[in-house]
Amino acid sequence: MTKQIRNLGVFLACCYTALFLQVNRLTVFQADELRNDPRNNRAVVRDFSRPRGTIETVDGVVVAQSVESDDRFKLQREYPTKDLFAHVTGFFAFQLGSAGVERTYNDELAGRTINFSLKELGDLFVDRERVGNITLSLRNDVQTVARDALAGRNGSVVALDPRNGEILALYSNPSYDPNVLANHDFTAAAAASDELNNNPERPTRARTYMERKPPGSTFKIVTATGGIEHGGVTADSPSYPVQSEYSAASFGRPIGNFGGGSCGGTLFPILQESCNTAFAQMGVENAKALGMTASAEAFGFNDAPPIDLPGGVRSVWPTEAVASDPPRLAQSSIGQFEVAATPLQMALVAAAVANGGKIMTPHVMREVRDDQDDVVDRFDPSVWTTAMEPDTAELLRQAMISVVTDGTARALDDDVEDNIVVGGKTGTAQIGSSDSSHAWIIGFAGPEGEPPSVAVAVIVEAQEGVSEQTGGRVAAPIGAAVLGQALTAPTQAGATASN
Amino acid sequence: MNYASRRTTELGLLVLGSMFVVGAYLLASLPDDSPIPTKVGPFLGLTVGLPLAAHVAMRRLAPQADGMLLPLASLLNGLGYVFIVRLDEARDTPRGLAGLQSLWMILGVGAFVATLMVVRDARKLERYRYTAGFVGLVLLLMPLLPGIGRVINGSRIWVSIGPVNFQPGEFAKLALAVFFAGYLIEKRELLAINRAFGPFALPDPKHLGPVLIAWAVALVVMVSQRDLGSSLLFFTLFLVLIWVATERASYLVVGILLFSGGAYFAYQSFSHVRERVELWGGFWALIGPAGDKVTQIDQAAFAMADGGWGGRGLGLGTPTNIPVVESDFIYAAIVEELGLFGAAAVLIAFLLMIGAGLRIAQQAASGFERLLATGLTTLLGFQAFIIMAGVVRLLPLTGVTLPFISYGGSSLLANYVLLALLLRISDDIAKRQSDQLAAHQLTEVVG
Repeated sequence: MTKQIRNLGVFLACCYTALFLQVNRLTVFQADELRNDPRNNRAVVRDFSRPRGTIETVDGVVVAQSVESDDRFKLQREYPTKDLFAHVTGFFAFQLGSAGVERTYNDELAGRTINFSLKELGDLFVDRERVGNITLSLRNDVQTVARDALAGRNGSVVALDPRNGEILALYSNPSYDPNVLANHDFTAAAAASDELNNNPERPTRARTYMERKPPGSTFKIVTATGGIEHGGVTADSPSYPVQSEYSAASFGRPIGNFGGGSCGGTLFPILQESCNTAFAQMGVENAKALGMTASAEAFGFNDAPPIDLPGGVRSVWPTEAVASDPPRLAQSSIGQFEVAATPLQMALVAAAVANGGKIMTPHVMREVRDDQDDVVDRFDPSVWTTAMEPDTAELLRQAMISVVTDGTARALDDDVEDNIVVGGKTGTAQIGSSDSSHAWIIGFAGPEGEPPSVAVAVIVEAQEGVSEQTGGRVAAPIGAAVLGQALTAPTQAGATASN
Repeated sequence: MNYASRRTTELGLLVLGSMFVVGAYLLASLPDDSPIPTKVGPFLGLTVGLPLAAHVAMRRLAPQADGMLLPLASLLNGLGYVFIVRLDEARDTPRGLAGLQSLWMILGVGAFVATLMVVRDARKLERYRYTAGFVGLVLLLMPLLPGIGRVINGSRIWVSIGPVNFQPGEFAKLALAVFFAGYLIEKRELLAINRAFGPFALPDPKHLGPVLIAWAVALVVMVSQRDLGSSLLFFTLFLVLIWVATERASYLVVGILLFSGGAYFAYQSFSHVRERVELWGGFWALIGPAGDKVTQIDQAAFAMADGGWGGRGLGLGTPTNIPVVESDFIYAAIVEELGLFGAAAVLIAFLLMIGAGLRIAQQAASGFERLLATGLTTLLGFQAFIIMAGVVRLLPLTGVTLPFISYGGSSLLANYVLLALLLRISDDIAKRQSDQLAAHQLTEVVG
């Protein structure tokens, strides 16, 4: 029996060795395979139970925070401002993933960035929540004014600081309430998500930087840049003929002015009146296809602005289509045909003029702070693209100011102090051949003698009527309200004021 | 050998083990932000008081028995209890298993002391071998009786009499170990006769009766109670004991052939067996094959992968999303939170218990005691192996409890009785040796 009992011991030892080897496989050697299995949601659950930083506006309004919950995740993500900042914060949901700042700055919010890790040695003895709190460059007051001014109409408002690219307002209708997607009742969250996705208006998409529309006459700033830099256009010459139609070639439909009127003249008058025939001619005969393409791409067309939010799209300049087709180039030069731009891109067009030709990288994150309110990361302003020479920018700045004083954008300085200089450009982009159009305004404002501190773009979509007055009548008052609010000094709302 | 020092060793090891368990409990409570765990008083009573009570009983009732088994069992029991408390508290709606388990622990140690008191000489059990056999068979088949048998989680292994629910199979295996040991030691000469069949030496067909009966009962248990684990354990116990008793490997060969045939038949005929094998997926499978359906073994694998080398830390993992984690799958929770190191520690603890048990078997003077100790050790070691192997996907999952660690009253009681019997045999050995030594010295003095 002795031998058998010994062999039994050997057999059981072998069994346990096999167990040990198998546990090695599971925990170490093939653990990554298991961790990366698409059915493995443990990492998501873990992040869900982990403390997560708050997101607040630069004027101290909390727009996303984690509060204690009674369920297995222990923490519930909450968006106190509901739809107001939905397209900026995005959401952080269990099955639906994440969007917006919650997505781009996930590591910072969860406290996983290098800056935190370096500090951890000293933190070993202190009970601290190592999360990052994000301060947005956006202002709650400007954002609120933008939403109120849109008054429920579909459209977008983008306001930013041309000097450093900080976004001050980024709002579009329709919006949505991110709280319904972050709901821990997953059935309800999935149902809410389906409802939002099945809505033909797509409320979860930020129209400010994810949707393109024909920019209409606001694009004439790009055309003017092409004319000045690649076609020898100056303030005094050429003087375009006063006419009601312009034909770029023997074929194709001629370009007409709104309401069939006649117009012409030098750069300032034609920009003030938004003269279609003159700008079509400038694009075709002065800038030409190559010059127009060069300028459009210098403004960033055909390339998505590197904003720190996910899912941004590029704006379109039809380089190929206009290369040897003057009628199409003529259409494109007045922001029609296949030209399409996001409101963000059009705000950057105004910003380029305001900032001496340089477009700064647009961004919504201002700084990241730790739980002690120490700044651990700050967005470094950088130039995204140079749209034009400083001289061109100065000429166009004067021209856009004259559009507000003497042209179609007179409503744009209604809400600012007397010492504020405002420049702008209206746009009305006809939708197909219907009698409705997108009403646009782009512009900038700042104290006299200083570089403008705000640039803005507004679009109100699908408005009744097609005349050059539409943009000035519908969109300009919104732009005026936003510029006016953005020029006031920000006030601190919450107790967690930033410096 | 100085057997008296064994109790000192035991006390020292018990203190070490209790320190570990108390430390683990404090760690597991820390993430919940409570500065002092609220139930620390009763907890200390359970994890320090109970082993000490068992130790005191040992000093009186089995003073010269092995000093390692009780501390190892207490360590595993305490570790299991910490995990059951931790898992229960992590649930949205606690199931109150922690409170019940503490009751089972008290009853378990009570049964341990009672066994030591009642069974003063393990050899006397040999007389009751046929009674034990009958009782064992009745217990094994009891869940099949209409009226008292209960089906829980798809297995008909429960009996409820009045307010008491229990798994008689856990006690049946002890009774059957006594029966097999007694019966086989009696018949070993007869059963050891081999006949040559060509080049093979096989047991005489007329002595194969017991093997076939055991095999048939195992099949009945597997088919009618849907209890693969108990069936496998029961048949393995019989096979190991007949092999050790007769010293004939031919029984192993016959047994394994019979088992393979039965397993193949069961795989072909019963969906619940087939399902288990399919969910297992083969020796090298890491993850279940069933499309995007996540089974409990997959959840366990994800949990263990999260553990890594050192584990996520006590109370810091999320083991509650593994179904039945308190009983069958508790090993996965241990691996998740204590990592490969904790997993290896549990394996080593079981191996040390197996080692101690087999050492007792080797040293036992009577054949009955040798076989009984072998059988009890096999039950403990093999049961722990098949459930851990199922959890880590080394074998198809067979639902049995992990001895001393899993939640469950019947299992805990039965394993404490098993432990007491092993220690009783160990004490007998030591007593006899010191008696012989004394007699020898006396002879020398007289001579």
